[in-house]
Amino acid sequence: MQALLVFLSIAALSLLASSRALDPGRFPALARLAASGFLFVLLGILLGPSASGLLSERNLEELRPVMALGLGTAGVLLGLNLEPRLLRSLPRPVYLSAMAHSGTAFFFVALPLLVPLVFTTVRGWVGALGAAAMLGAAASLSSGHSAVLAYRAGRLDRARGLGVAVLTMLDDAVGLGVLALALMIGSADNVGEGLGLVCLALLLGVMCGALLAFLTHSLKDLAELTTVTLGGVALVGGAAAYLRVSPLLAGVACGATLAVVGGRVAERVARALGRVERPVFLVLVFLVGCSVHAREYWAWVLMPAFVGLRFLGKMVGGRLAGRLARSALVLPPRLGYALIAQGGLALCLVAEYGMLVPGVLARRVLDVVVMAAVVNELLAGQAFQYVVDPSKGVMASASADTKVAA
Amino acid sequence: MKGAVVRLLLLVVLLAIISRAQVLRADSGTPVLLAAGALLLCGLFAGKVAKGLGLPRLTGYLLVGVAVGPYALGFIPNAGVKGLELVKGLAVSLIALVAGTELRLGLIRRVGARVALLCAAVCGATFLVCFGATFALKPVLPFLADMTMPQALAVSALLSTVVVSFSPTVTIAIVQETRARGTFTEFLMALVIIGDLLVMVAFAVAAGLTKASFGGGLDVTGLLGGVGWELFGSVVVGMVLAVGMLVYMRGVNRELPLFLVGLCFAAAEGGTRLHLSPLLVSLAAGALIANLDEHAGERIHHAIQQAGLPVFALFFAAAGAGLKLDSLLTVGPAALLLVALRGAAIWFSCRRFAPVDDPRMRRYLWMGLISQAGVTFGLAALVSRTFPTFGPQVEVLIVAMITAHELVGPVLTRRALAASGEIRTDDVQGTA
Repeated sequence: MQALLVFLSIAALSLLASSRALDPGRFPALARLAASGFLFVLLGILLGPSASGLLSERNLEELRPVMALGLGTAGVLLGLNLEPRLLRSLPRPVYLSAMAHSGTAFFFVALPLLVPLVFTTVRGWVGALGAAAMLGAAASLSSGHSAVLAYRAGRLDRARGLGVAVLTMLDDAVGLGVLALALMIGSADNVGEGLGLVCLALLLGVMCGALLAFLTHSLKDLAELTTVTLGGVALVGGAAAYLRVSPLLAGVACGATLAVVGGRVAERVARALGRVERPVFLVLVFLVGCSVHAREYWAWVLMPAFVGLRFLGKMVGGRLAGRLARSALVLPPRLGYALIAQGGLALCLVAEYGMLVPGVLARRVLDVVVMAAVVNELLAGQAFQYVVDPSKGVMASASADTKVAA
Repeated sequence: MKGAVVRLLLLVVLLAIISRAQVLRADSGTPVLLAAGALLLCGLFAGKVAKGLGLPRLTGYLLVGVAVGPYALGFIPNAGVKGLELVKGLAVSLIALVAGTELRLGLIRRVGARVALLCAAVCGATFLVCFGATFALKPVLPFLADMTMPQALAVSALLSTVVVSFSPTVTIAIVQETRARGTFTEFLMALVIIGDLLVMVAFAVAAGLTKASFGGGLDVTGLLGGVGWELFGSVVVGMVLAVGMLVYMRGVNRELPLFLVGLCFAAAEGGTRLHLSPLLVSLAAGALIANLDEHAGERIHHAIQQAGLPVFALFFAAAGAGLKLDSLLTVGPAALLLVALRGAAIWFSCRRFAPVDDPRMRRYLWMGLISQAGVTFGLAALVSRTFPTFGPQVEVLIVAMITAHELVGPVLTRRALAASGEIRTDDVQGTA
């Protein structure tokens, strides 16, 4: 029954999001949240165990396979974006620039927040270090969707929009790297075993990716291709969940393997997966929202600090990144403001961490990051106005964002 | 076909590796998603292999499910298969929705009365044969041996009612797969659907009588209310769904396959919770749409064909994985005897009572009535839950029969359609 409830809630919200009730002119913040999918996080919090309690902890436990499917899908899509040709063509300053903006935000958040985490946990400094690293990783991530939407709507130069998009794509690697590190520390009794589990996830992903490339190689029928793609994603996410390793990392390894060995097949798989990407993402963020413990006061204390420190980190990191990439990319003058939106991967990282690492710290990390992601999404709408041409107006931009996203 | 075999073998090897890795890993997580992904992929390629061998795809789905499932190779844990119940409900709803779009008023007027008569004859004859055989086996069947005469009669009637049931799901899936069209196909589909309704009513009556024979008293009002709610309530809810679908198709008109999957999912889950028949809900919805707006019915048909492949492959592979092969061994002789008698009764009643104007009916119709699947499973589980003293043993016997019927039924249904000449030529040759 709980699955039916999830379905009905999401269907109702999808209809609401696509209807005229959410007019960007009247409710710009709400329209922005609906377009980015973050409204579903709020809905999840409302229906979850910590607020109305319509979905209990047990219900969420039963919905774990759906969560694993969402994480696996996100991972495969991320991995498919790791196109070797594109990555090879990028000059070194671009990588340095991406490392600069994400690394700065990482350290701005992880180091100061390590202190309260150490003092409020009984798991010792190693556990706190892993949690702080996850907060840093989530802070380092930025979403490029505002920039892409802005250039598509003609409010930003195409080159600048793409520049921002490239930088935000590369910071995903930092986030995933830190996730792997944090899982090594926290998901097993010792680091050696943790390393083994991360390697198992990657190996599983590579095997599934290679198999998926072979299975889809000669398929011409679209329905069959979609079926095999969905089955492959479910297989990699499901196998990882069954073996209690990371579905996200396994998915990334699967997608990357497919991108490397699959050739044109990878494009077709990406297209097939693109058809279910949005609904799967919405269900995932809804479930992540359900997992938030809204009554956990420590999360409310840490969240403003996270948002503030991340903002500072992005401002400084953005300036640094702009200088480093000057010779290779055309970037907007106030780059930091374009990097405020956090995007869905941050939610995936903390959801994964929460699933695999037991304890209060992992739960707290999830609470802080999920609530901060919603706040950052709202802030990003205002912040991006400093990046685009101010003469175009706030209203028009919000409207265009929503239209293109729809 | 060689490519499909290689792909299937590679998938099985990967599953073996995952299964081995799980043994080495101390704690394991939920296997539901693994079961879904593995059965979907294995089912799809096994369907291709089966088609290459001239068998229905559905047989491939079922057999590969049996092979990798918990009762054979054991690569997929039982908990994973059980977790796919939701998909089963969804598949039944989707299949029934498509079947409903075939139920035009003209067709019902044309063949309705003849189908109902034949259905009553086939069900009656099969019931009598199975009832007699079960009662005769009283000394041999452990759950009947110690019962009084009235109790044994009532339980035999209950068991025989379940044994009579057909499988609209399998029949419609085979018709969809082979794209068979024509009077024979229409007649067969109408027969299994009406047979299903008849069995639902008969089962409620038999269950009431059994309860009374065990001292529970005969609650006629409750009995009629329950049957009425299941039948008429389902039709009313189905009509509401139909109106919802038509409004969506006229108003929103985007992502129809996704919308239909969502709606059928809601119908399956909600219908079960409200003690309605999800099959009848979707059947009524499909029939109403097709009769109100023919174009909308065709669009639904097309949309489900797009979304149906993964759902059907997963549904039947999961059904195969859930088949308890061990039960076939424990109650095998009695089950096989009942399987043979049921087949003979269906064959005889079709030869005797089928319409004379079309010789194909008398020759081939019986083959389309052998399959048993979802409805029978559901009724067997209901017997087990309602009568905890003897129900589980009855369920084992029925599941053993379903196992046999699931393996031969789809092949026979396809053969019947092929023999009737209503399958598309390329499918008959197995080249499509």
